[in-house]
Amino acid sequence: MRAYETEKTNVAAVDRSIYDIKDAANAAFEVGSGLTPEIVAQISAEKHDPAWMRDFRLQSLQIYDRTPVQNWGPDISGLDMRNIVTYVRPNTAMQGKWSDVPADIKNTFERLGIPQAERSGLAGVGAQYDSEVVYHNVRAEVAAQGVVYTDMESALQGEYAELVRTHFMKLVPPTDHKFAALHGAVWSGGSFVYVPAGVHVEIPLQSYFRLNAPGAGQFEHTLIIVEKDAYLHFIEGCSAPKYNVANLHAGCVEIYVGENARVRYSTIENWSKNMYNLNTKRAKVAAGGTIEWVSGSFGSHTSCLYPMSILQGEGARMEFTGITFAGAGQELDTGAKVVHAAPHTTSHISTKSLARDGGISNFRSSVVVLPNAEGSKSSVSCESLMLDDRSRSDTIPEMDIRCDKVDVGHEAKIGRISEDAVLYLMSRGISEEDARALIVGGFAEPIAKELPLEYAVEMNNLIHLEMKGSIG
Amino acid sequence: MNTTLNRLPVPTWNRLGVNFAPAAAALPAVPDGGWGAAQVAESPLPAGVCAAAPDFADFSASGVGADADAWVRQNANFVRHIAVNEAVSAPLLYETTLDAAHPAAVEYLTVDAAAHTRLTVVQVLRGDAENGAAAQLTRIRAGQGAVVTLVQVQLLGSRVRRWNAVAAETAQGGKVEQVRLELGGALTVCGTRAFLHSRHAAYELTAAYYGSGKQLLDFNDVSVHTAKDTVCEMHTAGVLTDEADKILRGTVDFQRGAVNGIGHESEDVLLFDPRVRNRTAPLILCREERVEGQHAASVGRLDEAKLYYLRSRGLSAAQARRLMVDARFAPAIEKLPGEALRQEVRHFVAERLDAYEPLDR
Amino acid sequence: MNSALLQVKDLQVTVGEERKVLLDGVNLTVNPGEVHVLMGHNGAGKSTLMSALMGDPRYTVTRGQILFRGQDVTHEPADVRARLGMFLSFQTPEEIPGITLENFLRTAQGAVTGQPVKVMAFRHELARQMQALQIDPAYADRYLNVGFSGGEKKKSEMLQLLMLKPKLALLDETDSGLDVDAVKTVAAGVRAYHNDDNALLIITHNAKILEGLTVDYVHVLDNARIVRTGSGALVTEILQEGFASVKGDAAK
Repeated sequence: MRAYETEKTNVAAVDRSIYDIKDAANAAFEVGSGLTPEIVAQISAEKHDPAWMRDFRLQSLQIYDRTPVQNWGPDISGLDMRNIVTYVRPNTAMQGKWSDVPADIKNTFERLGIPQAERSGLAGVGAQYDSEVVYHNVRAEVAAQGVVYTDMESALQGEYAELVRTHFMKLVPPTDHKFAALHGAVWSGGSFVYVPAGVHVEIPLQSYFRLNAPGAGQFEHTLIIVEKDAYLHFIEGCSAPKYNVANLHAGCVEIYVGENARVRYSTIENWSKNMYNLNTKRAKVAAGGTIEWVSGSFGSHTSCLYPMSILQGEGARMEFTGITFAGAGQELDTGAKVVHAAPHTTSHISTKSLARDGGISNFRSSVVVLPNAEGSKSSVSCESLMLDDRSRSDTIPEMDIRCDKVDVGHEAKIGRISEDAVLYLMSRGISEEDARALIVGGFAEPIAKELPLEYAVEMNNLIHLEMKGSIG
Repeated sequence: MNTTLNRLPVPTWNRLGVNFAPAAAALPAVPDGGWGAAQVAESPLPAGVCAAAPDFADFSASGVGADADAWVRQNANFVRHIAVNEAVSAPLLYETTLDAAHPAAVEYLTVDAAAHTRLTVVQVLRGDAENGAAAQLTRIRAGQGAVVTLVQVQLLGSRVRRWNAVAAETAQGGKVEQVRLELGGALTVCGTRAFLHSRHAAYELTAAYYGSGKQLLDFNDVSVHTAKDTVCEMHTAGVLTDEADKILRGTVDFQRGAVNGIGHESEDVLLFDPRVRNRTAPLILCREERVEGQHAASVGRLDEAKLYYLRSRGLSAAQARRLMVDARFAPAIEKLPGEALRQEVRHFVAERLDAYEPLDR
Repeated sequence: MNSALLQVKDLQVTVGEERKVLLDGVNLTVNPGEVHVLMGHNGAGKSTLMSALMGDPRYTVTRGQILFRGQDVTHEPADVRARLGMFLSFQTPEEIPGITLENFLRTAQGAVTGQPVKVMAFRHELARQMQALQIDPAYADRYLNVGFSGGEKKKSEMLQLLMLKPKLALLDETDSGLDVDAVKTVAAGVRAYHNDDNALLIITHNAKILEGLTVDYVHVLDNARIVRTGSGALVTEILQEGFASVKGDAAK
């Protein structure tokens, strides 16, 4: 509840419109809306891809063409790929310093608070504007530790090219689903992080993505390799201005967690309310390693987001902590997947879902324990809060247990705000609106406490914004 | 029959294989000589119960699905339609026995319980036969304040495949209670759909299953709440040994208008063998603010501490195992009418457990 | 030597994969008819010794021997020891839903005696023992320890002791967490159980459970081994001066 101390001023100060600023569409180059081998080849040429990447893209396009759209989950028929501009390149080259970033782009970032975040101790900012990385800065001290934090395009050409080639889309192959195939064909931008063995990156690395141009899709690729005994916290924040044309985000995150390494991947997604967010995130964890996902989903029109963890080595662990808040017009289908593929692996999934004002907030999960995973433990706990009777919240978990020496538990709860609690708070002088916001904030507290402070504050602000006007 | 059975009300990832029953669960082909006669011993209709003309034209689909329901109606070799006009205390008993001369029983039963009546229907299936098939469709209409209890005890041999479709519609203050013990057979496909479309309607399921050998068990139980103050309690206990493969889908569906609806669902599975496969998909669907929905599942081996406690009192590993299985099944067994049936069920389970040889690991 | 009920020889007990040593070189002999009391600081290893004697799979015997009635049971499972006549009254008994207390006791008695239980005689004895322990007869039909209060669980353990009639009773703080009346009831149960053929090994922080018993030996455990063994005279000291003085002695 700590964030509530600043709650009053923040709610007053945060104006929803700052998330909806749009710059004049000022892109230097746009490819045609449809997707053909020629377009993919054009993208590849523009990016000076190595030959293997060019081939990979074209193969992915073939897979995309023959893979049907999923027959489960949210309705994505509002997406028409023929009308999506897949690649937009902003009219600025890579920038080394903040002062070199063009003013209109910089204005938006500044209103979103990126430089402040950096000043407050974040290690580096890889901010993506449209499809290209426009700003990149890794602190000298992090680089001195041997940590590589760069954009994917540079990584593909530089001394880590081979590492990229052997890891790129190996966890999420293009055959995984239609939008993974699309990603493989048209991916652009994103971050590459390499943490050598034994290095503890003390300050979190942050990457801020957003969409800008009308009809632009965003397909950034994040590849994180953390060697044994190392530690990394990576923060991904998303925000995009609102447009009328359907937008698509089909990014991909691949994380390799080495032996006894630990990676925390935190996300606050606040896409504009017309975005189709079909993102794929996956981690593979070696023996004794830990992956921790912290995920807040607030924005987008439609989201399908289920970070997956493959516990590949003995004693590997995963923890997933998530919150999803769906308001009017939104269908957010979120959750997590885990595969226990080694003995004595552990997974904990804990989520909260909220739905109001006709929004749909679904929890979906899959826990698979393979025959060799003896001594593994898994617990899933999901809680939903319905804020009115026009909204919807479905809980769709699945467990597939193929080993008897396991301890698997699952708990799901759905309910509403306790009127007694509201009354109690009101009897202490708190307005009904504030009382409800306070209770919802409390519901989200277990998630907030997993986030870095500034993100927890932002999340609470978002909840308050979402809760405003929820009475009557 | 090429139709999908036991569809999950809201589909999820296809590769999990839980969206509907696997192909091996398909309904059987009609044998060349037809189904023959079913061998069913039935108790005489007690006072207050009479044969009735079927009035189930637009009845809700079962959990197995409308296609399966139609198939049973078309193929039935045993059909009963009964009306309940009073509160009846004696259970109405249907005992089906499969043997070489009667390898198939395709049964269609409807129960129409008038307002404020009460009846317990007991279906027991026994016996074994090469290519045996036992398929049942049971439809229950519980009138205002009526209570219908459906007790199903399946003690079939390992060569029989079995389908068990149940549909229930419950009027205001009415209640359908189902006790389902699926303890034998080569294949078990069960699906109940309860429609709670009037105020204070209730559905209660107390279920137990025992899967062994290469048995396939596939369940799809759905409670649909459309009215105020509707309640469902669905609780299942299971034991899996050998290479048994089980899928349990349990759905509480709170539709808009199910104000103050309550739905509790649980499954407790005991695994005895590293080769078993246990899949569970417990869904809560919610379109109403003021509801209370809960699901809990626990899957694993016998608790080591409990096992040690029992063994410290002199029980062998096998005895302790049997006692723990009895304990899991107790809530279902205790609801069976008559000590004789309870004993028969306990013995059936004990024999199957004794026949099981744990893999030495 | 052959008449000894229990002989513990140079016992070393460890726990966990890292093999943390909890008992190291414990020697103990208990003869029929004797009452032994086990004392020591918290964490000294008293409960561990009881658990190791009963065959708790969480603990591993890494050295030494446990002989019970002349038979080496060091690596036998708990049920073999129970059938030979060993009984442990658990500090925190397990709750087992679905098994009634009566059903459980009947099954256990059958297992321990190796003979079918005569139902009427069993019921009669159960009712009598429950009455003696002031347990509500309705508890016979309740699930084993489920929802029992702390005191009721301890009485349930005593009831099992009286019904199963073991040769050696290991009582692990059976008198803890009980009110004055319940302690008296439990102590009376212990007296009723004890005779010349059986023996008791008792962990207690409340000497009341020893009321009316003649304590033959007191063992003080410290730092994983028995550091002092006193005779019955020490019992009088316990009863008159309480635990503090004995603990003080042990520390010297």
